[in-house]
Amino acid sequence: MSEQLALTEDQRDCLQEVVNVAMGQAGDSLARFLEVFIHLSVPRIRLVAKEDLGQELESLIGGHGTKVSGVSQGFFHVEDGKGIRGEAIVVFNDSSFKELADLLAYDEELTDAAEKELLMDVTNVLNGACLNGIGEQIETELAYSPPSILGQHVPISDLLEHEKLSWGHALLVEISYTLEDRCFNCTMFLLMPGESIVVMKEELDKLLEDL
Amino acid sequence: MSIPLLICDDSAMARKQVKRAIPEGWDVDITMATNGVEGIDAIRSGKGEMVFLDLTMPELDGYGVLEKVKTEGHKSIIIVISADIQPEARERVMGLGALDFVKKPIDGKKLTEVLTKYGLL
Repeated sequence: MSEQLALTEDQRDCLQEVVNVAMGQAGDSLARFLEVFIHLSVPRIRLVAKEDLGQELESLIGGHGTKVSGVSQGFFHVEDGKGIRGEAIVVFNDSSFKELADLLAYDEELTDAAEKELLMDVTNVLNGACLNGIGEQIETELAYSPPSILGQHVPISDLLEHEKLSWGHALLVEISYTLEDRCFNCTMFLLMPGESIVVMKEELDKLLEDL
Repeated sequence: MSIPLLICDDSAMARKQVKRAIPEGWDVDITMATNGVEGIDAIRSGKGEMVFLDLTMPELDGYGVLEKVKTEGHKSIIIVISADIQPEARERVMGLGALDFVKKPIDGKKLTEVLTKYGLL
């Protein structure tokens, strides 16, 4: 199964560039929202098995036991249920909240509810721009469901523990947004399950053919 | 004589897109680099009189390339082609000596416009 889902080098390169362009748009939106300069890194793409997901997330985001808060938002192709679908997951390091509250001149106490609000605000800014950016390039309109909190102050490997993951393998895309001189790091993960990867591969092939 | 043109981008697709956007009939001799380190090497060996430079790259990013070009005193004419559309990214690269900034995905008409504006065609 996973061999069939694996991206060719051309497809991986193409997806990385598509994500790169979308990341640029999302980074610009976040920069305007926070009135800061956002440092962007090269997006990372890998195919993961369900049982390895926790470990993969841990290795990408900063090691064992790193505590995070996260929001998940489903996205899907509008016309039918068969096309591209997945989850856009925005993850904050615990240390990021204080910085974020500071930047947004949020002077109330940082309760869980207040943090949830900050998390939702940033998720809306990032996901909208990023998913639209990807959709534009593969000429597929992506709709999204309302965001929901996955967990607050939990180890990254446990973030998706209670989710019913109905796939065996998924494509994991990591997009990192960092602020200079501040310990704010926000990571966005796109998680596209099995059959959606096949559709994505077809879309990437179309883009590659046009070159 | 053809102009040595360096296309420096870590994405093979982006390099192809940039190559395809080059105005027809422009007499250039193209070299490709897949990261900033390869890019600066190519510039040192005279292959980058004109450079189309990406920003987000592994090894050495586009900002690093611009800094090295400046400190090493190369006369390259550099146009940044990047998806990082933050106004501050543009300001930073211009401050580091880039001639102009063109956003990704690259639009051939826009590139021709920029090259024409500076009398490079």
